[in-house]
Amino acid sequence: MKTLIFLSITFSFLFSSSFDYKLKPIKLSENSYYFYGKKEYFSSSNGGDIANCAFIITPKSVILIDTGSSKLYGEQVKEQIKKITPKPIKYIINTHHHPDHFLGNNAFLDSDIYATQYTKDEIDQHGDLYIVNLVNLIHEPMNGTKVNSPQNILTSKILDFDGYKLKVLYYDGHTGSDVVLYDENSKILYTSDLIFNKRTLATPHANIKKWIKTLEQLRKIDYKILVPGHGEASRTKEPIDENIAYLKFLENTMINSAKEGLDVFEILNKPIPKEFKDFAMFKEEFERSIINLYPSYEKSLSN
Amino acid sequence: MKYLFLSLMTLFLSVNLYGKNPVYSPTFDDIIKEIIGDEKYVFDDKYIELSVPNFADNATQVPISVDGKKIKNAKRMILFADLNPIPKIVDMDLNKLLPLISVNIKVAQETPIRALILDEENIWHIASKNIRSFGGGCDVSSQASNSNSDFAKYLGQTKSNLFQKDNVKRLKASIFHPMETGLIFGNNPFYITKILVKNGNEILSEIKTYSAISENPRFIFETKDIAENYTIEFYDNDGNEFVSEAK
Repeated sequence: MKTLIFLSITFSFLFSSSFDYKLKPIKLSENSYYFYGKKEYFSSSNGGDIANCAFIITPKSVILIDTGSSKLYGEQVKEQIKKITPKPIKYIINTHHHPDHFLGNNAFLDSDIYATQYTKDEIDQHGDLYIVNLVNLIHEPMNGTKVNSPQNILTSKILDFDGYKLKVLYYDGHTGSDVVLYDENSKILYTSDLIFNKRTLATPHANIKKWIKTLEQLRKIDYKILVPGHGEASRTKEPIDENIAYLKFLENTMINSAKEGLDVFEILNKPIPKEFKDFAMFKEEFERSIINLYPSYEKSLSN
Repeated sequence: MKYLFLSLMTLFLSVNLYGKNPVYSPTFDDIIKEIIGDEKYVFDDKYIELSVPNFADNATQVPISVDGKKIKNAKRMILFADLNPIPKIVDMDLNKLLPLISVNIKVAQETPIRALILDEENIWHIASKNIRSFGGGCDVSSQASNSNSDFAKYLGQTKSNLFQKDNVKRLKASIFHPMETGLIFGNNPFYITKILVKNGNEILSEIKTYSAISENPRFIFETKDIAENYTIEFYDNDGNEFVSEAK
């Protein structure tokens, strides 16, 4: 009997700790791939796999852009990349400080991790709080996740990784610091969360005016493929235009509602405009945005 | 067999007794008794529209709104959250205000929230909703008094606006105040305890407020009165008085 109990505990432990993200890299060009994150919110059934990350195979190594929400996710990304190339993942870039983009970092203890000073500071200050929040939402797949803060501060306009060059563009709007990478070899633009493709934009640290300005800059880049932070990669400028339209809609809604003296729920009960009906998670994200941002619009209303 | 039957019956009875309460909580009966004693009440989600977020990300700022305008000549309105350490939120002697309020609150954990409205026949109507949240909103000390060194300069700064909505006047008022609960060791309670809404010298409503209201609170009230300007007076437990004009 004792052995039976022992065995059943051992087995249940073994099985419970092996969440499978079922990751499949999607090929973008000869040497570039991305992992597609689900257009959902953090949950135990998706294990936090809600954001995209991407990798580029260079002659000597692999560059990884963002690392997902958990150590386990990072480890499974590593396994998938190993199936394609034996080259080491030497370089990692964290595009911004949101937990679905950097908490996989501690699966890569041997890699050089890069981020801006702002992003690093935010990770150092709030990383542990993010983990607590995600453990509440995701449970087991978060096991073993710890903050592994970037050691290298991004400042240069060009990153030279063993001869493979990437253009670094510094923007803000989605957060206080959003890094965009442009690979001129493949003409792929990695925008991270400055672009959400057919998935409603998340705004917990957003500055809408700055974000729109940034998107207008991104629109000028002559890319072949755009890899967003959420949603599918695109070969058109449509996602940029749609994001600008959504942000303008969000801002105008708040300005007009403040003028009319509306309450948060009176705004939330309005019908969803047609053009955003195919955006995933409209209701949830729109609610979060209004609750977060509306008070400042009410305040700025002059008497 | 006898015991099984007995326990099943007990279960059945208890389920039926609470069946009327749309959002069950272990503290509801005690709180309701403390607030309204033995007065009559009915659960009424039909005539009162109580709105809460689908999920309250930020437990220190959870917007809620109550619209009980379908209840004619309402006399008093009380809001409380069952599982908050400070359950009461507001207690309004409605007088010339309509049974409507919009305000942000703190929640300590996931909790039911109730809006009680007393009608002209002295029956309380109770609307219930559940606020989903990871909580933690009550044991965070005020951001304003902590991080802002100019706190004293901003304390009591008010802003009010008046809007014409159909045939009623809507008052929006906000004030810079930490609304400190006093639940954290070393922090004294410091919050607004009373609001008076006035038209000249006439008091339209007297509102008792509690520290479950978020810091730097914002309020929406509505009145059928048709003046062009109103005075809103805020009183805190430290003896301060702040006055705001809404035009």
